[in-house]
Amino acid sequence: MDFYFGLLQIFGVHTLLGLSAYVVLLTGQVSMAQAGFYAIGAYAAGAATAMFGMHIIPAVLLAGLVSAAIACAVGFPALRVKGLMLVVATLAFGEMVRMIFFNLTWQVERDGALVGPNGAEGFRAIRYFPENGWEIWQVTTLIWIFVALVMAALWWMDRTRAGAVLRAVGHDEVAAQSIGLNLTAVKVGAMTAGGFIAGIGGSLYAHTVTHIEHGIFGVLLATFAVAYPILGGLGSVFGTLIAVLFIQGFLVEGLRFMGDWRSLLFGALIVVAMNLRPKGLLGDTPLRLGGLRRKPSSTPALQEAD
Amino acid sequence: MTLAKFLTVSTLALTVAAPALAEDKTISIAGFGAASGVVGIFGQNSGAAMSAAAEKINAEGGVTLADGSTAMIETTYYDDRCNAEEGISVLRRIATTDALVAVGPTCSNVAEPLFGILQAKVDDDGDTGLQFPVFTDVAIKGGLAGISEWVFRNTPSEAMMYDNLFAWIRETHPEAKTIYGGVEEDFAHSRATWYAVMKEAAIKHGFEVVGEAQWLLNDTNFSNQVRGMRRAEPDVVAISAHPFTTCGALREMARQKVEPEVLVGLTSSSSLETLSGCAAEAEGMIIPTSFAPVNDDAKFAADAVAAKGAALDLHSAAAWENFMILRDVINAAGIEGTADSRDADRRKIRDGLAALTEAEGLLGQNKRLPDGEAEKPYVFVGASDASWTVVHAPDS
Amino acid sequence: MDYFFFIDLLQSLTDGLLFGTTYALIGIGFTLIFGVMRKLNLAYGAASLAGTYIGLLAFLNLGAPPALVFVISALGAGVIGLVVYYCCFRFTPETVPMASLLASVGMLLFIDEVVVHLSHGMPYPYPSVFRDSVIEIGEVWVRGDLLFVFLMCVVAMGVLFWLLHRTPLGLATRAVSQQPRAAQLCGIDSARVNALTFVIAGVLGGVAGAMTAAAVGVLSPIIAMGLTVKGLIVVVIGGLGSIPGAIIGGLLVGAAENIFLLLRGVTERDIYVMLLLFLFLTLRPGGLFGAHAGRD
Repeated sequence: MDFYFGLLQIFGVHTLLGLSAYVVLLTGQVSMAQAGFYAIGAYAAGAATAMFGMHIIPAVLLAGLVSAAIACAVGFPALRVKGLMLVVATLAFGEMVRMIFFNLTWQVERDGALVGPNGAEGFRAIRYFPENGWEIWQVTTLIWIFVALVMAALWWMDRTRAGAVLRAVGHDEVAAQSIGLNLTAVKVGAMTAGGFIAGIGGSLYAHTVTHIEHGIFGVLLATFAVAYPILGGLGSVFGTLIAVLFIQGFLVEGLRFMGDWRSLLFGALIVVAMNLRPKGLLGDTPLRLGGLRRKPSSTPALQEAD
Repeated sequence: MTLAKFLTVSTLALTVAAPALAEDKTISIAGFGAASGVVGIFGQNSGAAMSAAAEKINAEGGVTLADGSTAMIETTYYDDRCNAEEGISVLRRIATTDALVAVGPTCSNVAEPLFGILQAKVDDDGDTGLQFPVFTDVAIKGGLAGISEWVFRNTPSEAMMYDNLFAWIRETHPEAKTIYGGVEEDFAHSRATWYAVMKEAAIKHGFEVVGEAQWLLNDTNFSNQVRGMRRAEPDVVAISAHPFTTCGALREMARQKVEPEVLVGLTSSSSLETLSGCAAEAEGMIIPTSFAPVNDDAKFAADAVAAKGAALDLHSAAAWENFMILRDVINAAGIEGTADSRDADRRKIRDGLAALTEAEGLLGQNKRLPDGEAEKPYVFVGASDASWTVVHAPDS
Repeated sequence: MDYFFFIDLLQSLTDGLLFGTTYALIGIGFTLIFGVMRKLNLAYGAASLAGTYIGLLAFLNLGAPPALVFVISALGAGVIGLVVYYCCFRFTPETVPMASLLASVGMLLFIDEVVVHLSHGMPYPYPSVFRDSVIEIGEVWVRGDLLFVFLMCVVAMGVLFWLLHRTPLGLATRAVSQQPRAAQLCGIDSARVNALTFVIAGVLGGVAGAMTAAAVGVLSPIIAMGLTVKGLIVVVIGGLGSIPGAIIGGLLVGAAENIFLLLRGVTERDIYVMLLLFLFLTLRPGGLFGAHAGRD
């Protein structure tokens, strides 16, 4: 059973990572900074529990808030640009965060041993869960409570005016601006929310793996963060969840028996999936519970002659 | 529905992991590590060494259980792609099978988190970490076995090897005074080996460190770093980096005509990779290694692994040795090998490994240390004419 | 500021500028594709690397001379560029830019893995020319092979300019990039132009990959990620769709990298490069030669 609980933990933290990019994607922006916020959450929460003996729940929330604050501060300058420029600007930020943790050495003595980030060697012994007698199913439950809360909040937000505002900005900025929406406020708000969610995800991640180092939080992780919501579809939070199950459950874990071929299939199946379902596995139409009305399909684009 | 199909297939694939009980008695030892990706070659070699070792053990009659019956060894290799999350997931999966002990992982950055999720001290009921014996073959970064009492390593002690290497250089090159280091800064193993091992050993044996050149794992330009080296005119240059940047730096050294008397390399570069990358520039580079085909046992093992299309080097040789050591441990521990005795058997193997003070290795007796680490016999190999040849074999 | 420091600075600058031309080539490739399709091809760096490996294959198996190896690398990358176009861009709807973006990420992972699978992740020697020749200008050394790399990249850029400004194909390419719809109405087959752009960009990437490998002397799959990230940075510094911008961007990145390496050491180098990039982007969102601020 432990194996399946462990797997659920991986699904949980990756869903949080994906959801953090989902919020930002709703406003039409691709942010490669999510791995950076995830790293900030991981290091902050690890420091809180392993170095200062804090309880896990306040530590997770603290990590989320720290990430959110940094995301907000970065959002103002970064969101002056959009499209490809934003991709690279956020990529630069993410790499900067990673390199800062690469250079960060800050250790304190606890029980006769030094704990804390140790530069390139990483941050070892974030063992809050095993040391405090948490069984693996309890850890999994805790993670999924956070996932459920975040998903519920985003689901609820999607059905209120806030969701409509985000999607309006994502759909057509000029139109959104002309109906009086403050683009900067909307985008920075989404970025802050994304930072908070990524921070929570990162803090839980750090505690499930007990050791973190800068190398984990690179461009590849940032790519996966945006890949989940795009692959799953931006229609609702469940798209991200499905994509995480597809990638982590099927491609990574399910195909393990294929040995060396698994890694080859991994990329190929993503290509196939995007060709077959370009709007994501679940599509980009917002799900409405019990609603049979389908949104009329968007104006067909001018037919290309080819 | 593609989506439904994906889900069904993945659910099916996940349930395959359920333990299969064997009728004829088998003892299962799992191997895991990176078998794909940039470092995949390590896992492929280890996996081949393990299955070759299992075949040898089975051909010699397998292992003896508590009731006097014999059982065959079977082994499966799991790929973790050198990723911490996957490594943890793989070990948890192995723990659900009837495997009694796991041999792995390849990467130090997987080993460190992985050992962290294991129970730190045995019989500590307050610690809910996983209780499963791990006997590491490849991940070499110093001091990791101390993280958990369930972890044992059969990786060579770099501290001891480099200490002796520099002592030997002092002896054979009495006129050499200065040393210059080259470090791949963002790789935990190379970094730790220069700062905590090579540098210390060099200073201890009277070399003066006249400078350090630093670069990153995927750097392609070394001219700045090597220029510093050229000005310092060192007698000895020690490069602690993986083959790709080792070769890059060596090329640049040749270009700038930095010709130290002695060139020292990192343990994990004593593989074919360095030679396939830059045999000409690596000529003369000396590396301590815990494996070379210098005696009959070692040659036999190397041939058996070569027959599987893989190579036996210091890493995969450890995988082979681990299986031989585990055979002796299993024979001595008196395990039952039934589904009900699984947890008890795992514990017996752990205790058996913990009780060892010496173990048989391919190059001679290995010393087992109380913290789960090993001190293995070693030789110094040098690159000459695109192959590694033994330049010095200390008698130990 | 002593004498050695000054020499080091000059030397770093020289090396950086010479090496920067490979970044410029990758940047041009990104910018060409972006200009024509308004889409980002993240598999580009990996495709260039794969092409370089095809050249390596010819070197290892047939003992081809360096010049031929470079040509095969470039052509191989062109072919792979076409494959990428058909797998990721041809059949994904134009109205959903995210689809092709993610498909190209999948392609990046796939190509990388194929290369690793076939090479076992081992580094291989890559042929280079003038490896041991050094031109000494006072205390500053100009590496012969880097000079060759520089010249090759300049030649590749020259050919590209000729192609874009002196041939019907170039006219069509520029037309599609400026006004896709109008170009179509004029009877230009935009799918064909797109495919050809991928081939041309692929060839440029192959040259960049071959020259990077020749400058290092060793080829390993791990340089793909570096090529991709550097290429993206170059594009945005130069301004989207601007070829002169990409050239200047490439040289700037090469120089900045080497200068920070000298001033701050390798562990902090990338922090400063990234910080500079971040500030640059937010203060000058259009890049050096961008037409509109932050156009996407």
